[in-house]
Amino acid sequence: MTSAEDAKACCSRAYGTDAVAMVLGPSYHPGGLSLTRRLAERLGVRAGHRVLDVAAGTGTTARMLAADFDVTVDGVELGQDVLESAVAETQEAGLSAKVGFHHGDAEHIPLPDGRFDTVVCECAFCTFPDKERAAAELARVLRDGGRAGITDVTVTGEGLPAELSTLAAWVACIADARSLEEYSEILAGAGLTTVCTERHDAALERMIEQIDARVRLLRMTSFTRLHQAGVDVDAVLRYCALAREAVADGLLGYALLVAEKR
Amino acid sequence: MTLDDQQQDRVKRDRDEVFVEFTKSICPVCKTPVDAQVNIRDNKVYLRKRCAEHGWFEALTYSDAESYLSSARFNKPGTVPLTFQTEVADGCPLDCGLCPEHKQHACLGIIEVNTGCNLDCPICFADSGQHGTETVTSADGDSTTASGYSITHEQCELMLDTFVESEGEAEVVMFSGGEPTIHKNILDFIDLAQAKPIRNVNLNTNGIRLASDKRFVAALGERNRVENRSVNIYLQFDGFDERTHREIRGADLRESKRRALDNCADAGLTVTLVAAIERGLNEHEIGDIVEFGLAHPAVRSVSFQPVTHSGRHVEFDPMTRLTNPDVIRLLTEQRPDWFGKDDFFPVPCCFPTCRSITYLLTEGEPGAPDFGVVPIPRLLDVEDYLDYVSNRVVPDYAIREALEKLWSASASMGTEVTEDRLKQAADALDCAEACGVNLPGAIADLTDRAFMIVVQDFQDPYTLNVKQLMKCCVEEITPDGRMIPFCAYNSVGYREQVREQMSGVRVDGVVPNATELGPVLIDSPSGSKVYRDDER
Repeated sequence: MTSAEDAKACCSRAYGTDAVAMVLGPSYHPGGLSLTRRLAERLGVRAGHRVLDVAAGTGTTARMLAADFDVTVDGVELGQDVLESAVAETQEAGLSAKVGFHHGDAEHIPLPDGRFDTVVCECAFCTFPDKERAAAELARVLRDGGRAGITDVTVTGEGLPAELSTLAAWVACIADARSLEEYSEILAGAGLTTVCTERHDAALERMIEQIDARVRLLRMTSFTRLHQAGVDVDAVLRYCALAREAVADGLLGYALLVAEKR
Repeated sequence: MTLDDQQQDRVKRDRDEVFVEFTKSICPVCKTPVDAQVNIRDNKVYLRKRCAEHGWFEALTYSDAESYLSSARFNKPGTVPLTFQTEVADGCPLDCGLCPEHKQHACLGIIEVNTGCNLDCPICFADSGQHGTETVTSADGDSTTASGYSITHEQCELMLDTFVESEGEAEVVMFSGGEPTIHKNILDFIDLAQAKPIRNVNLNTNGIRLASDKRFVAALGERNRVENRSVNIYLQFDGFDERTHREIRGADLRESKRRALDNCADAGLTVTLVAAIERGLNEHEIGDIVEFGLAHPAVRSVSFQPVTHSGRHVEFDPMTRLTNPDVIRLLTEQRPDWFGKDDFFPVPCCFPTCRSITYLLTEGEPGAPDFGVVPIPRLLDVEDYLDYVSNRVVPDYAIREALEKLWSASASMGTEVTEDRLKQAADALDCAEACGVNLPGAIADLTDRAFMIVVQDFQDPYTLNVKQLMKCCVEEITPDGRMIPFCAYNSVGYREQVREQMSGVRVDGVVPNATELGPVLIDSPSGSKVYRDDER
């Protein structure tokens, strides 16, 4: 890892690559839509609210929130290709009037102060190199009393096995993950007071199983394509096994956190 | 007693359980409907009830309370059948059936063609066999035991017509018994079913005839090749230990099972291995059964059923009986590299706690070091499609429909419908645009590598809950043209009633062989237990 900026660009770019799209498939974050719904409930999202989704990806969360919770959603996404798919899929779903997307970075959110009732950020905070700055941005765009909801990878204890701290692991968004307490402190530094936390380690375990299954399915069906995209199947399966072990040992986990701007 | 003690006695205490449902059940002794309550203790679900005459009864119904509660979301609105056979009169479960209050149509209809069997298994929910009663052979060669019967061509036709009238186009009829392969007209019955709008026939058998009579197997194979029709074998297969065979089936049938399976493979027949699992008997063989099934060319699915404590069975304790989550846990413990708990998903067409299913794709040859299984629920979030309560937007309704057929009691490997649905479900994995792989297309070529595992806990007189019964989608079709939910048929007394009607011989109500009932039970002529009525 040369620098934080390199990592960020690489991370965002990687999420737009064939290799990652192939490996991750539709399982876009641990817990899937049901954890997103739970987060929305914990946040107290109400009809008519303005919601911001930071690192919105292809907009799955944004569209679900707009449709199921009757809110307007702005999504911010750094990857240009991913952003274009988000816009296209939203148009196809007929939700463009309620869901819009902006090219941008969590550390420089291109939106005005105090605009949002709620900010969500799923499985992405851990990849932000300057977490203090990102937290300050989340706080800035929230109105007073607004809430930020984060679900993310957590790392506790002595940290991760060396092999899981490499670049590939960074892409899988675990290398710079912190403990739940640290996330809470970072947010507190930006004026966001934690009001609720929940552990969802099983969701991470499940996602690792899903990646493992997907890669093996691709090996069965599309070996050549996988090879062309540069996916090293054995390496991915090895990372999966290591990650699974780390979850079982309590080193790696997944958590939900809600913080309020006071 | 001091004043302190007295005050301590008057301190209010909390109950040691969470009360979650009020429902109805039956007294396991006299089968009278009684009020019942469902409670949770130590993350396990129990059903408790009281009969005014026979007292309190309690049984374990689901050993994972968290899953029990969360599976409520996967409860699909039922489909109204085209006809009902009875009226609402005395209330559930006395009006079977189906009565107009029933909440679901029949995914699967069962026709028991006889009560006679070429085995006398110590465990048989149908209380079938060759024992205890004299055999009468009639002029046309039909043999009936004193309290037994076999159905005629006309009765079979009426039963099939009842099913078709109720379903229109029916998915699956299962011929069962007794042992259906020893009924001299069984092939005629299959022809009769195939001539009607019923897509698939399942033959539920112990395999003895399939092991020894290759001409019979070939005749079944022929019928499996009839256009738009299929015949699948539902083969009793409880494990590999001699003890398992002797204690569940009363004989060592291992060689016979192997021959039956090989003969089926030769005839191009698809087989489901059906394992009755009993605590302390064969619960250690669950993983081995799956592995064996994956390796055998005829086997495309395995069905695990905790032993149903209806009919004839070994003594058991209702509080520690096996339930679906136990079977799933045992499988994941025995094959941790292959399965996790979340790979099984509850079936929404019946009550979601009755049945759980997973589908797998297999990779490589079983036994080889690179062999692996890919559970399909890891590839797509089934929950996003089959949540009927909290989901307001389903990603794709065609995929939901495909998944509904796969997660149903009518799903049967080796049938065109199920394979088409697998291909359709694969559309959920479409990422051709994003990643350049046409996975649905690729999976279409893999359906012959797909494998199904079903875990089904049938209810018995201890565990019967009318809430589940009212949405049952597996029906026993009776010779008098009723369709009775399978667990009601076995638990409430309908089986005894039909047997008495058909044989003209009195049949007493069968009572579960629970340890706590031991002192009031005596043997019935067919080896099950009945209440010792001293005044009789």
